[in-house]
This record gives sequence, structure tokens and C-alpha cells, in this order.
Amino acid sequence: MTLHISNLSKTYPNGVHALAALNLDIGTGMFGLLGPNGAGKSTLMRTIATLQEPDAGSIFFDKIDVLSDKMSLRKVLGYLPQDFGVYPKLSADRLLHYFAALKGVHSKKERQLLIDRVLEITNLMDHRRKNVYDYSGGMKQRFGIAQLLLNNPKLIIVDEPTAGLDPAERRRFLNVLREVGTQNTVIFSTHIVDDVKELCHELAILHQGQLLNQATPAAAIASLQGKIWTKVISRADLAQMEAKYQVLSSSYNQDDGLTIRVASDQRPDGEFLPTAPQLEDVYFSVLKHH
Amino acid sequence: MFSTIFKFELAHWLRQPAIYVYAIVFLLLATGAMAADLGIFDGASSGQYIGNAPLSIYRMITFFQELMLFLLPAVMGNAIYRDFKYQVHRVLFAYPFTKIQYVAAKFLSSLLVVLALSSLIVVGIFLGTQLPGIPTGTTVSFVGAPYWHTYLIYILPNMLCWGALVFVVVSLSRNSYAGFITVIVLILLGEILGRVLSNSDTQFLGVLLDPLGEQGMAYYTRYWTVDERNAQALPLSGGIILNRLLWLGLSAIFLIWGYTRFTLSERPLSWRWGKKPAAKMTFAVPSKTIRLALPKVRCQFSRWHQLKTAWQLSNFDFLFILRSWSFISIVLAGLLFVVFSLLQMNPQFEMKILPVTWVMLKFPLLFFSLIIVGLTFLYAGMLIHRAKMAKMDQLVDTTPMPNWVFLCSKFLALVKMQMALLSLLMIGGMAVQTYQGYYQYEIAHYIFDLYALHLIYFVLWAFVAVFVQTIFTNPYLGLFFLLLTAGGISILPDIGIEHPVFRFNQDPNPDWLYAYSDLDGHGSGMGMYFAYKTYWLLGGLLLYLAAFLFWSRGLSLTFQERLRIAKQRLKGRAVLSLIVLLMAFSGLGLGLYRMDKETLSNEEQELWMVHNEQIYKQYENTVQPRITGVKVNVDIFPETHSFKVAGSYSLSNRSQQPIDTLLLHYAFNEVTEYRLLPKYEVISRDTVHRIDVLKLREKLLPGDSLTLFFNIKNDQGNSKVKSNGTYFDNSIFPGLGYRAVELTDNAKREKYGLPRRAIDKPFPSDSAALYHSYSGHDADWIDFEAIVSTSGDQIAIAPGYLQKEWREGNRRYFHYKMDHKIKNYFGFNSGRFAVKKDRWKNVDLEIYYHPTHTHNLQSMINGLKGTLAYNTKYFSPYQHQQARIIEFPNSLGSFATTFANSIPFSELRFIADVETGAIDFPFYVAAHEMAHQWWGNQLLPADVLGAKMLTESLSEYTALKVLEKQYGKDQMRKFLKFDLDLYLRGRGRENKAEMPLIHTYPHQNYISYRKGALAFYALSDYLGEEKLNQTIQSYLKKVQFQEAPYTTSLELMHHLRQAAPDSLQYLITDLFETITLYDNRIEKAAATPLEDGQYRVDLQFVISKYHSGEQGKRVYNNKGKSGLINDKNRSLPLNDYIEIGIFGSQGNILYLQKQKITKIDNQLSFVVNQKPAEVGVDPYHKLIDVNTGDNRLTTNQ
Repeated sequence: MTLHISNLSKTYPNGVHALAALNLDIGTGMFGLLGPNGAGKSTLMRTIATLQEPDAGSIFFDKIDVLSDKMSLRKVLGYLPQDFGVYPKLSADRLLHYFAALKGVHSKKERQLLIDRVLEITNLMDHRRKNVYDYSGGMKQRFGIAQLLLNNPKLIIVDEPTAGLDPAERRRFLNVLREVGTQNTVIFSTHIVDDVKELCHELAILHQGQLLNQATPAAAIASLQGKIWTKVISRADLAQMEAKYQVLSSSYNQDDGLTIRVASDQRPDGEFLPTAPQLEDVYFSVLKHH
Repeated sequence: MFSTIFKFELAHWLRQPAIYVYAIVFLLLATGAMAADLGIFDGASSGQYIGNAPLSIYRMITFFQELMLFLLPAVMGNAIYRDFKYQVHRVLFAYPFTKIQYVAAKFLSSLLVVLALSSLIVVGIFLGTQLPGIPTGTTVSFVGAPYWHTYLIYILPNMLCWGALVFVVVSLSRNSYAGFITVIVLILLGEILGRVLSNSDTQFLGVLLDPLGEQGMAYYTRYWTVDERNAQALPLSGGIILNRLLWLGLSAIFLIWGYTRFTLSERPLSWRWGKKPAAKMTFAVPSKTIRLALPKVRCQFSRWHQLKTAWQLSNFDFLFILRSWSFISIVLAGLLFVVFSLLQMNPQFEMKILPVTWVMLKFPLLFFSLIIVGLTFLYAGMLIHRAKMAKMDQLVDTTPMPNWVFLCSKFLALVKMQMALLSLLMIGGMAVQTYQGYYQYEIAHYIFDLYALHLIYFVLWAFVAVFVQTIFTNPYLGLFFLLLTAGGISILPDIGIEHPVFRFNQDPNPDWLYAYSDLDGHGSGMGMYFAYKTYWLLGGLLLYLAAFLFWSRGLSLTFQERLRIAKQRLKGRAVLSLIVLLMAFSGLGLGLYRMDKETLSNEEQELWMVHNEQIYKQYENTVQPRITGVKVNVDIFPETHSFKVAGSYSLSNRSQQPIDTLLLHYAFNEVTEYRLLPKYEVISRDTVHRIDVLKLREKLLPGDSLTLFFNIKNDQGNSKVKSNGTYFDNSIFPGLGYRAVELTDNAKREKYGLPRRAIDKPFPSDSAALYHSYSGHDADWIDFEAIVSTSGDQIAIAPGYLQKEWREGNRRYFHYKMDHKIKNYFGFNSGRFAVKKDRWKNVDLEIYYHPTHTHNLQSMINGLKGTLAYNTKYFSPYQHQQARIIEFPNSLGSFATTFANSIPFSELRFIADVETGAIDFPFYVAAHEMAHQWWGNQLLPADVLGAKMLTESLSEYTALKVLEKQYGKDQMRKFLKFDLDLYLRGRGRENKAEMPLIHTYPHQNYISYRKGALAFYALSDYLGEEKLNQTIQSYLKKVQFQEAPYTTSLELMHHLRQAAPDSLQYLITDLFETITLYDNRIEKAAATPLEDGQYRVDLQFVISKYHSGEQGKRVYNNKGKSGLINDKNRSLPLNDYIEIGIFGSQGNILYLQKQKITKIDNQLSFVVNQKPAEVGVDPYHKLIDVNTGDNRLTTNQ
């Protein structure tokens, strides 16, 4: 099961090129889509999720021509948008019944079985009678996963789902997602690099509507092996360092000094120490190249 | 900080396109409405009202008041809601400003915007009066006062009060919706108050409480005459001021209360009691692995399953509507209104009717329809945009449900809502019936009417609403547009679009729907009704298809994109449906248009009258023979709604000259054939004006006769025959001579080049006019004989005595014959009647009634007997040996009329609900109609002005006396008060000219009935009942069964003048020959105990009398004699007898005498032998006094 995107373009009426002749192939497993805000991630995901029309290009999911046969895709699609609301005054149970009906699950008995299961998976069983509208952020995201699972989807799209979650919630959420991703295609957009590192079989970095890099996390990290150097500097020197080297990131130390990470094929100078590359380095180095 | 927020807010509003839309719409609406009112479109003015007179300006501005009220939630509610909606409040409330600055700036800036917008209505109305092309005579030169008066006293305080309410409600609930609901509930409550407090005793309370203050103006101007309406400045009386202060005060309190409750905090004020705590976050230990293991379920997408899903989704949406508090509050307010209006119902003045099912349906529906349609508009938007508004749209839109399922579910949910609302009417109706002790529940009738007849109307609006709300992305804008559309459709006839084929959801015969009768149900209009509804259903389906094409899914799109998508969707079955629907819609529309093209538009009717006059007016004075005998066979076929008449007239030449030209006119909607004996030629045949000119081969010499044979049958699909309760009269029979249906409006006559018409009918002084009788120019007294047949289960009735009754096959035949001549006015009834029989001396009394309508039979019998007793005692014997009342269905009207020995009575009188103490209308009407056997059937006036004084005023006088004999003086006074009120209101609405009683126009019922009753009653009081009746008797003896020339009001006047003493001659002038009103009031009344246990009462009172011109202008000079005048009051010269009354604490009369009064200010003293409690000048309102409230006063001790 692969998602095949070719030459996908979208320009908004205000002139923003959200997607610029994008080509992308995604197989089974978790696919992480990294990119800064405004990179076009959401446009891409909404286009795949049949919510938006591109100006040009094509999307195929296996044999389904997504752009012309939206209904077939929707049958196998699970979608969790970046920011969603729910009808007030309705319990999780009732809302899930509503979504299950929308997804074509007709028998009430089967629907209840299914709903019980997704509530269990998302650990919402105890809160099933409470109004989703009053849920906390993490619970609401889990509810989002619960509704997404109702049609046992083959293609799952989740748009920045971990934003705003506390660590425990995030952990639980990612576990659920990971499980879903074992058999299906999951596209997962985020700007939190760690999410991708932990979960994804494959990742891509999107910037200004273009794909900059597509690889497995391991391969991406391996590509920088021996090329990342670190050094502790004083705050005042940062500008000078940035001018001189390709500084990927900088972080404060306890003593108000800065630790900088630099990408370089050779050791820049003796004061730099070699260090193991991280996924974040990949992300920043790719963006820096542009 | 205040000014910063204030300026920021104003700048925000000035950037909103919606504001400019409102501004333009308001300006155009106001200008257009004013210009239309002034006759810019039809080019001719009607009536004599000045379009920019103060009261007209007030009415025009306040007409738009409810529309302005909707600005409050749209602007003022939104001002505060905006911050919550965009969650700015989280940031904003952390800024360094105080609550008062924030609230005051928001409130005042938005109020300013609202006031500016509402003043555009005022500006628009002003512009409307200034447009070129306004016909002259409808405006006077500009005066500013009424504009700013209306704005400052009504609009501004209302916007302030209700703006405050809306502002507080929205800021506390943080729901913009709540503001809309507040306004709707407010309008409803105003209506309820007006309805509940509408009768004259509680009306003043209504003035005080009316939230918009409009009742006050209605109250203080209710008796205004044309002249006063055109010239008088707007009143600013105590009640209005109190009302304004009351609401300003209350809203200030509410604003302060709201301010204290308002907090600059994150969470809205919660109205829920015992709120459940929000779900707590649980920190379950993250399990390492989760097995998905989803159970295998079937996902089914067949058409059938999708339909079922649509049904389920509609239940889901329906439940959402039912649970929303805005729905609940509107429905509750609406129901409250309905129940109150049902309990207070007075459709015919004060005549209550029994709570029969059609009544329970009609009156609530007239109003509740508006609520249902409004809720349909509103919830169409709420449902269609529901997911988007809850931000759940992306979840919903990515499910594999096709668009049509969503569209269908929303539509179904709306229809379910409508059905639920209609069910409420059924429940409410039956509850009211139970409460009033009426237990004849007709559940099938409720269900059929509500769900088969009325539901279609609402479903059609649901189609429109779903379409419009699909197109509009903002549900409030959609609502606004829908309201404008509905309003626009309702005024289409005013701009010349009259045919129902062009007016969405409007019925060709709007009265039909509610004209239910227990006798024949809905009658025969149902086919046409459903034909039109089917036509519009096809139109509705077209809109539904369009909604499907434009259904928006996914991210919001520009209109161009939606258009492109709609084109994409238009393929396959959609194209086929479009073509089929379009063809069916236009085909049926064309068919209906063709079928119904005989119904003339207003302009066509005018032209018809113009041509009729132009061609045939020349024959107006051509002498015609008279009908002297009528013999007819009438066959009524209730099953097929058809009839056949075969008859003959004896025509004789009663003139002094030979006749050779005949003008024969015949019925408009029936097929008439005729032939004359002897030979004749047809000179012209005019099937448009339905009049033929015939030439006799041999002249008809004076005294000679000829015979006209005729056959009449109904045209197809158009008959006066009902399945039960048929009633029609001889207006469909042929007649002779020029048919004088002429345009009366002189402006229109001028437009068509016709000469001006001074007066509609000749004056009684015109001796040439006295040769035409009031019952028709072609006949007076006739011999009458009829054989009437009908179906086997019905009884058929015609005037005359039953000679013979027999059956042929399954039909019944009745042969009626009158033993002496009767007036040429007769009719035929047929129905499944029960018969009540009684006897008064040698007169047989019978009532033919619908078997369940037994409530008022005895009252009617008593009414007949009362008049028989009174009139035979005072005036003359009854000319027949029989009097029959025959019921006809409500759908034919609410009237009663009098043939020779038959009196057809509307069903409405049979189902009157006479409460103890209330006026017994069935009794009264029976007495009145019976009195016409004398006043109309013995006394036949000439067809001149004032004829109705002889028929109606005298009948009212008789009925009033009969009422007094049966029910006592109290009832009679109640009736006089009612007469006075209706007379005064009637003259306020007069749009031609108010005439004195002796010259009353036929259409001026407020004069001939109301003032006539008052005048004859006053005369009987001043002159004495015996003396007045003797005078009338001697007059009647002289004119009874008279042939041409016929009598007039002047002849009766002559008798009255001779009978009255010199001292009362003035009274006859005042009551009958002029329009005279009094403005009497008592100013002081003091009682002093005397030593012998008696009391001296000192009175101070004002007597003022004036004449009124045709337009209501007050005149104080009489025939050159100048009137009386003092520092405050004016009066005609006085030489009048005014009744003074002194009453004890039980209302017992201590003193009641007429005193001669010659001046305005009077002081009189009396000694009475009991302690007086109340005194009065003309205490029983025997004289016509505009303000009767100041005629009595409690005494000071």
C-alpha cells in the first residue's frame, strides 16, 4: 500500500506557494513529515485528506485516484486535523456513534463493539459518558484517534497531534499511533523532531512547499555521522561563530554560556569536539542548506 | 483607555462590509416603502391621507422598528461577542483597563453604530417623500417635527433599552445567538401583551407596558379622523411618557445589574444549576504495547444504507434543535402567545366563538406560521453550518458519506422540527379546548390540517432555506437574506405581480385554507391548493438540487471555485433530474397560469370597469321593463358540486312609454342561456362584460308584458354548490339595464379619461332617483315560485311556503310558493340539516342547522320571538306565517341576511360562545335579521344615500330594544358602548367622507349600524319610546310595500320633525342631519351632608359640542352663528338637554334628569336623600362623546 504523489502544486489566492510540484512516495508504516510553520504540511495533508483541491498534480493511494475518486479514499482514510472541535453537550459515546454511522458502520451492535474497542485503545472507557467538549487537551486528542479508527483505516493522516500535550499524554498518544502504524500507512506531521525519531519508519522534510529530504531516520542520522561538532562559547561570540561556521543550533548552559552544534566535514578547529549526530541536526542542516 | 477602545471599536465597525449592507438595505427599503406609500408606482393616490402627515411619518418609521431591533444583536451583541469568539478576551482581559472602560466603550460605540443605522430609516423615509414623480396631493410641505419626535421618543429609547438588554445578555452568556433570541422573545412578548390587554378596559395597561411604546400611539389616536390624521401633531400624552420612563428605568437597572455580574475573566457566567465537574485528566501508566485488534465490522454504502444514515443523522440534528435553549425559549414564548390569544380570542368584535377545531387551528397558525418559518430559516443555517461552527467539519467532511446524505439529513431534520412544532399546536389546541370545557376532539381533523395541508407550506420554505443557507457561508447573513426574501414575496402584488404562479408559496385563494366548515369541511378548493403546492414542490426540488450542487465540503472556497465544483457535479443523474424537474415545473406552472388567467389582475379589473362604463353608460337611462314574477326550477347536485337553473321572468312595462331596447346582463362565472317571448334580435353580444343588447321586433307598450326564459348552470370546476350547506342567491340570475360597476376613485377615473364622479349615489333630494329601489333597478315586488331539488339526504329551501315534497329516484324535490308579492331578493339552500321548530302565536319558527350546532338555537328562537313581539306591538303585523333560519357554512362568510320568510345565517353565529353576562350575539343577530322583515321587506327604500338608515339603523334600533327587553338595561348599555367605540373608530378609518346619518353611504356600516343605533336610541330616550315608535309606525303605514317612487330617509325625518317638540328639533338635526359630537366632562363634584340627613351635591362640568366636516375637521360655528368660546373650550351655540345623574354607593340612581344647558361652564346643585358616591354628566353616554372616560366622577365628601 503506497501513497504516490506527483507534481502536486497549490498556490493560494494571496500568492503563497503552499506546494510546489511536490513528488512523494509513502509506503506502509509511520511517515513523519517535518517542517517549519508555513512549510505546506497542512496543505499537503488536507489535500490528501480530500479537503482541498490542488492546482495541479496527482495523488494515488494504491489504485485509488484520490483527486477524482474522493469517496473511495474516504472509505479507507483516518484523519485527525491539527485543530478540531466537537459538538457541545454530547458524550464521547454518542459522538462516536455519530462518526461510526458517517463511516458506514450500520449495525448498531457492531458499532457498539467497535466503539468499546476504540475507547479501550485510547483509554477513554471511563470517560465515555462525559461530554467531549469538556475534555482536556490530551483526552480530546485521544478522542480524535478513537474516531479516526472507526473505519479501520488504511491511510491515516495526523496533523501535528502532539502540540500542547504534556509528556505523559504525549507518550500515551504516540504509543497508540505507533500501534496503528504497524499495518497501515500513517502520515504524521510535526515540528517536534523527537516525535519522528521515536516513531517513524521514514521521514521527509518539507520547506516552502518543496521536499528537501526523504529517508529513514537512521539513514538520515547516519548521513551526518562524523560531521557534527560541538563547542561551548560565550554568548557574545555567537554572531562571529554563525558567520564563520554552519551553526545548526545553540543552547544555553547553566553558566549562561552557549553550546553550539556545527555541521562540517572536517573538525572546524581544535576546540570543537566530535559528537553523535541527532535527528535535529538533520532537520536544521537540511533547512540551512536552503 | 476608554477613548482608545471606543475609537478602535468604531474603526472596526466602519471596516465591516456588513454595516454598509445594512445601511444600503435600510435606506433603500425606507425610501422605497415611503415612495410606494405615496403612490409613486401606481401613479394615483387613493384615499385622502397625507403621506407625510405626522402620524403617517410615525407609522412609516415604526413600521421598520422590528427590523431595527435586529440590529441590536447584530451590532451590539456582536461587539461584545467578537472578543469571546476570537478568544481575544484571554489576551484582552489581561490588559490594563478597568471594567467600566471596557464595557462603556463597547456599549457606547456599538450603540452609536446602531443609532446611526436606524436613523438611516428616518432619512430614507424623508428621501421617499422628496422623490420626483410623487403624485400631487399626497404630501404637504416638509415638517421636521414628526421625524425627530418619532426618533427621540420611540426609536432612540427603544434602541437604548433593548440594546442594553441584548448587550447584557450576550456579555453574560457569551453567546451571540442569545441576543437574537432576546429580540425575538421581546417582540413576541410585546405582541402577547397587546393581545392580552386589547379590550377597552385593560387597554391603558397595555399602553403602559408595551415594550416598544407603539400601543400608546395607537391608543391616543384610535378615534382620530382623517382631518386629524392629516394635520394633528403627534400626541405625547401621559401614558406614552410613563411607558418610556418605565422601560428606560428598568433597562438601566438591568444594565447596572449586568455590569456587576460581568467579569473580565476567562469563563462565561454559568447558568447551570449543579454543574457536573469537568472530566479530570487521568494519569494511567502508559502501557507499553497496545494491540489494535479492532473487531471486524461491515461498512455499508448501498443507497439504502445511506438513506437510513440520512434518517439517523436527521434525528441527531433534530435532537440538537430540540435541546437548544434558543429553540425552547422561542417556542415557549410563541406557545404562550398562542394560548393567550386563543383564550382571549375575539375575532368578531366581542363575539366569542366556541373552541371548535378549525378555530383552534386558524388563529394560532396565522401567527405561529411566522415562528415556524423563522425557525426554519434560522435552523437551516445552524444545521448546515453546524459542523463548521463547532470546528468539527474536517472530521465530518473526510467521512465516506456522499453530500446528498448530509443535505438530505439537514432537510429532514428541519421538516421534523416543523412537524414537532405543528404537533405543539395540536396539543395546545386540545389543551385550550379542554380548559374551556369543549370535549369534541377531532384528532383526524387536526392531523389532516396540520400534516397534510399546512406542513407543505413550511416544507417549501425549508427548501428555500436550505438552498439559501447553503449558498451563504454566514448563517446570520443567510437568515437576513431569507427574511428579506419572505418579506419581498409578500409585497409582490403591490408592485403588480399578482398571479400566484409568480409568487412563491402563495395560494391563489388564501382564505380557502382556513375557511373550514363543519358542514362541508374544506369544500372544493383542495384540488387547486394541491396543484399549486405541487408546482412549488417541484420548484423546491429544483432549489434542493441547486443546494446539492453548491454543497460545500472541505475548506472554504471562493464563489468561483464553488461554481466550478457545481458544474463538475452537474452530470449524470443530476442533469437528468434538472431537466425533468425544470420541465415539470414550467409545464405545471404554465398550465396553472392558463387555467387561472380568468382571474383578473387589479389593472385588468379596472380596465374592465372602464370599458363597461364607456360602452354601456349610454343606456343608463334607457327605460327597461320590470321583473314582476319569478318561476324557477333549481336542481342542486351536492355530489358533483353543480347546479342547473331553469326559470322564467315575467317582465312588464310599468313606464309610460313603449320599450324596444333591452339590456340583459347575466352572471360572470356561470353559463347562461336565454330567450324572450315574443320575437327579438340580438344587437350585440358581449361575453366579456356579460351584457347583451336586444331589440324587440314589436315595441312593448306600457302595461304590456313579456316572458324571459333562462337556463343557468355552473361553469366547469367552478360552482357555488357545496357538498353540504349550499347557499346562493339571485345575484347570478339575469338582470336588466346598465350594470353600474364604475371606478370610484377620481384620480383613477382621470387616468382613464373618465369624467369625475361627484358622489357614488344620488342624494335623497334627487327626485328622479326615487324610481329605483334599493334592491335593484329592474324590480321591486315579485311573485315567487320555485321547485328545488337536491340529493336524497339533503333538505332544499327557498323562500315561500312548502307546497309539496316528493322523491324521484334518489333525489328530493321541494315546491315552494309565496302567497303574496315579495322583494326581488331570494336564495336557495341545501344541506343535511336538523330542524328545530317552535311557534310564536300563529307564526311557525324553524331553524335548519348542522346537527352538532345546537348551542345557540334557543337564543335565536328567542331573538325571532322578541322582534315579532316588539314589532307587531309597535309597528305592523308580520307579513308571513313563517320565519326560518338556515345555516350556511363559514366558508361563505360570517354574515346573515333576510329573504322573505327565510333568514340564511352563517355557521359562525351557530358556534358563538356566549358567556354569562356577555352580549348574546346569536340572539341579537336573529332579532336584527327578523327586524329586516319590516325594515327592508315591508319598507323598501329608494336607491339613494341614506337608504341604509331605513334598513339597518331601524333594524339595529329594534334589535337593541328587543335586547333590552330580554336582557335588561345593563346589556343594552354594554351594547351602546360597543356601538360608540365602533362608530368612533370607523370614522377614524373613513377614507372617503363621513356622511350624516340621513346621507350614509351603503359601505358606511359604522354610520348606518353603529351611529344609527345610537341615534335612534337617544331619540327614543329624549322623545319617549312610545312616541318615537308611533311616529315610525305612521311612517311605515304610509310607505309599506310601496312602488316607485320609493321612500327615503328624508321622509322619515319629516315625520320625526313633526312629532318632536320645538325644544328637541335641535336634537334631530344633531343626530341625523349633521355630524355632531360632544366633548362633555365633569370637573368637580362635592357632596355636603345637610342637617336633615340629605346631601347637597355641587357639580361643575363642561359641555362642548361641535360639528365635524366630512374629513373630521371640527366646526364650532353654526350657519353663520358664531359659537361659544371661553378660555379653554369652544362649543357650538348650546340649547341642549343633557342628562345629569347622581348615584349611590351601590350604583343606585339618586337623581337622573335632563337639564337644559346653554353655556360651556356649568355649576349646578342638587339635594339627594342618600349619600352620593358618583356623579355623571350624560352618564350613560347617550350622546356621542369622543372621550367617555371623563363623564363620571367620584364625589368629594
